[in-house]
Amino acid sequence: MNNIKLGVFVLGGLLFLVVLLYMIGINKSMFGGSYILKARFDNVQGLIKGNNVRFAGIQCGTVKNIKIISDTVIEVTMSLDKKMASIIRKNALASIGTEGLVGNKVVNIIPVQGDSEPAAGRDIIASKKMLSTDDLMQTLSRTNDDLAVVVSNLKTTVLRINNSNALWSLLNDNGIPMEVKNTLINFRKATGNAVQITNEVDQLMMDVRNGKGSLGVLLTDTSFATHLDAAVLKIKTVGERADSLALTIHSMASAVQKDMDSGNGAVHALLKDSSIVIKLNKSLENIEKGTQSFSEDMEALKHNFLLRGYFKKQEKKKQAENKKL
Amino acid sequence: MALSKPMGKFLTETGELSRFAGRFFAQWYKPRYELGEFLRQCFIIGYRSLPLVGLTAFIMGLVLTMQLRPSMVEYGVESQLPAIVGIAIVREIGPVITALIFAGKIGSSIGAELGSMKVTEQIDAMEVSGTNPFKYLVVSRVLASVFMLPVLIMLSDAISLYGAWIGVNIHSTTSFALFWTQVFNILSFSDVLPAFVKSFFFGFAVGIIGCFKGYNSSKGTEGVGQSANSAVVVSSIMIFVIDLLAVQVTELLGLN
Repeated sequence: MNNIKLGVFVLGGLLFLVVLLYMIGINKSMFGGSYILKARFDNVQGLIKGNNVRFAGIQCGTVKNIKIISDTVIEVTMSLDKKMASIIRKNALASIGTEGLVGNKVVNIIPVQGDSEPAAGRDIIASKKMLSTDDLMQTLSRTNDDLAVVVSNLKTTVLRINNSNALWSLLNDNGIPMEVKNTLINFRKATGNAVQITNEVDQLMMDVRNGKGSLGVLLTDTSFATHLDAAVLKIKTVGERADSLALTIHSMASAVQKDMDSGNGAVHALLKDSSIVIKLNKSLENIEKGTQSFSEDMEALKHNFLLRGYFKKQEKKKQAENKKL
Repeated sequence: MALSKPMGKFLTETGELSRFAGRFFAQWYKPRYELGEFLRQCFIIGYRSLPLVGLTAFIMGLVLTMQLRPSMVEYGVESQLPAIVGIAIVREIGPVITALIFAGKIGSSIGAELGSMKVTEQIDAMEVSGTNPFKYLVVSRVLASVFMLPVLIMLSDAISLYGAWIGVNIHSTTSFALFWTQVFNILSFSDVLPAFVKSFFFGFAVGIIGCFKGYNSSKGTEGVGQSANSAVVVSSIMIFVIDLLAVQVTELLGLN
């Protein structure tokens, strides 16, 4: 019984040891095959053997070796998980980054768009120069210098503003806000009106476009244009005729004038000869007399026995009509 | 040789201890093997120590995490707490604390047991009866502590890490999987293997010093207490000396 307990105790301890070593082994990609990829950099920024290699952010291997080829070329040998062999392509880019802001260095392998064969073992993939913390600091220092200049300029500007009496009197004047407010109110009204006007113009333009109103017709109706053309043509011919008419009238008038002046013709007789008036009066008197005697004749005819029946019938008809009304 | 008395005593003891250790190395691989006694000692030394070691390990993991947190927060690397606690436990805290507890418990018990056997002349009686008392008493105990301490240290590492996980979760929420991954991401073989190897030496130091003190005790009952006491003191000091040597050797081997 004691030996069983002892066995369990020992096995427990050994199991933890094995698990510990196995987990570390997995992290160092010791189990399951690995393959080698290389990349060349001009500066590895403190990368050391054993640093992690990531593909698209996934832990996939470690840095196996760092070798100086020449003073500007440093070759980094990476031991990667065999599973990545079919995934990492020849055109992938290697770059050196940092875990967090001040953490360990890592090699990031970034996939690139476009077709390429998977990278075989011992291939050298292209590298990409990344912004190192030193570069960042240098840029920051330049930015700081610029900022110092800007700040000093700002300081003089602020001092000038502080010393300006005009500005302060403007700021201290209590009436100005009220005026500004009124101005704004007016401005708002004006804007409202402008909006209304714009709307109306808009409506008008819409109507015109749709052919409503005379302007619309004028602008949109093509048949109207031809009509107008014809009308103008007619007006023109009419004008021409009127010209000739005026000419004729003119010549006629001048002829009448001549007759009048010379005392010949009917017009002259009508307008200038007084004996004609007397003759005319006499004629009218005669006509009056003639009409009177004709009236008497007609009355005598009514009473004639031959025609009396007819007139009586006419009278009765008239009376019947009056009764009806 | 004009050496001062304490210095002479110290050197004499060192020489005697070395001789004792040499006797152990000369005898441990030779038959006859006391396998039953070895297993019994393994049970007593290893299994019976587990509750004590487990408790201290758990508390160490928890306390270490809670003590480290404020500094980590100050530097803004609170997320690295599991990693740093894992390194500390596996590399140093686990082996050394466990070995010290082990020295306190096993060193004193071996010293007292063998000491009382010595002063009651049981060891002499064994010799007379034809049993090799060195093999039966010393080799079995030393081998048991050599093999049991690494196992205890592994288990205490595991328990400490569990305590550390609870310590991390007092202030923030970290899943056990994340904690586990963070610890194993930071660990490497150069962290685990030196710690594992030195734990054998710790076990050997505790066993051999306890046995030496017990085996050479004198002056009756008083001597038993003295040997138990000095066994604990000397083996504790030896643990630190071995730790110092171990870190130097790993440095030299480039494993750090």
